[in-house]
Amino acid sequence: MWAQLVEEAPRFFGPWNLLFLGTALTHTLLLSYLGALGGFAIGFVLAVARHRRLLGILPLRVVAIAYVEIFRRIPFLVKLMCVFFAFQLSGAQAPMFTVALVTVVLSAAAFAAEIFRAGIESVPAQQWDAAEAMNFSRRRTLFGIVLPQAWPVILPPSFGYIVGFMKSTSIASQIGVLELTYAAKVLNTRGFSALLCFGTCLLLYFAICWPTKLAGEALERRLTIRRKAPPTPQLELAVR
Amino acid sequence: MAYTLQYGQVWCFLPYLLAGAALTLQLAAIAFLAGALIGLVCASVLSFGPRPARLLVRAYVTFFLNTPLLVQVFFIFFVLPEAGILLSPFGACAIGMSLNAGAYLTEIERAGFASLRRAELDAAETLGFTLVQTIWFVIVPHIVRALFPPLSNQFIIQIMTTSLAAIFAVEELTGRAYNINAQTFRTLEIFSILAVVYVLITILASALLVLAGRRLFRVRASVF
Repeated sequence: MWAQLVEEAPRFFGPWNLLFLGTALTHTLLLSYLGALGGFAIGFVLAVARHRRLLGILPLRVVAIAYVEIFRRIPFLVKLMCVFFAFQLSGAQAPMFTVALVTVVLSAAAFAAEIFRAGIESVPAQQWDAAEAMNFSRRRTLFGIVLPQAWPVILPPSFGYIVGFMKSTSIASQIGVLELTYAAKVLNTRGFSALLCFGTCLLLYFAICWPTKLAGEALERRLTIRRKAPPTPQLELAVR
Repeated sequence: MAYTLQYGQVWCFLPYLLAGAALTLQLAAIAFLAGALIGLVCASVLSFGPRPARLLVRAYVTFFLNTPLLVQVFFIFFVLPEAGILLSPFGACAIGMSLNAGAYLTEIERAGFASLRRAELDAAETLGFTLVQTIWFVIVPHIVRALFPPLSNQFIIQIMTTSLAAIFAVEELTGRAYNINAQTFRTLEIFSILAVVYVLITILASALLVLAGRRLFRVRASVF
């Protein structure tokens, strides 16, 4: 097996395959980051819509809550199939990349809404009261008072979720979007050994996911040191 | 292009679809239990183990948390046969999902262990508890209460991730939806019903877990 691998590797990492993998990697990155961007935008709107003190329109709140609860409980693959067939039946001639991107955005929006909600709720209610007492508008309260305090709660977990979106984009291979997983499948079908194809694929995913996660952890450390008292000493799990 | 949704043709397949839920739950339970066991071992190693073992576990957890489950299962399904190990689709999915869940559960269980406070152990010592009593009356109740919410959350996620098994032709919920689709071509109807089924199953599972948590461990939690 090893001998075959060594013999195959130079062919596998030839210029055309590298170009192919590069394109696939770009698509994966575009899908995840554009999807996260769109998702966070819609998620913010959803979090504002469901907040009791911001809009306070009951039907809107119900819709926002239902959206979040329902979309977080459907597997990505099933969402992808629904969007895929909805596009197909509506007759819109959209490329598969768009279909996958819409799914990532719809899915990310539900998770982002929860992140924003947790962030906004982490700010004590007295801050809202104080802002109201000083006759701040709701918009000014949100952007000037609540959000600046909420970022340390919102930002660090967001990176973890972006890693999650990156990983979900692998499922877009099922509708034939040329991203990393699909590229690995294509190369495998062309006769390269599965170990090389899927091994490379796994390493490339790791190479884009891990730094994102590390960035989130670094941000978390920086933001918590500034804000919080040192944590209560925890058990050192050594036998005393 | 006008397309009218026709659920009429699909309703008769509902019992067949729902029967797939048994396999979904089975796969989720296997992955969750095996993952919990892997997590228990790995979390213990991370907490008590020697440095090389800790590094090894860290590497496993970091790698599995930062790569997609789908590709992990692809790897197991296509690479192991090259090494002479043949797996059924169900077996490959079960192994891949267990390893993946194991990485997540390691993190969860390690955090649970770390939530134990020294003051509690000091109190137990002051009260003259023996080691067994300390473990049974102080450590276990604390850890169970701390771990129950994230563990039940992980189980719900597990139910949803098993849908990936459909890609390997395992006939669980999503796999059966593919089958019905191939027979009737009422695509959007089937997948919308499937989405509703997943929502209902996960809400039901959440509700049962919250109830169990309240009754057995006095964990304060709510479904939404």
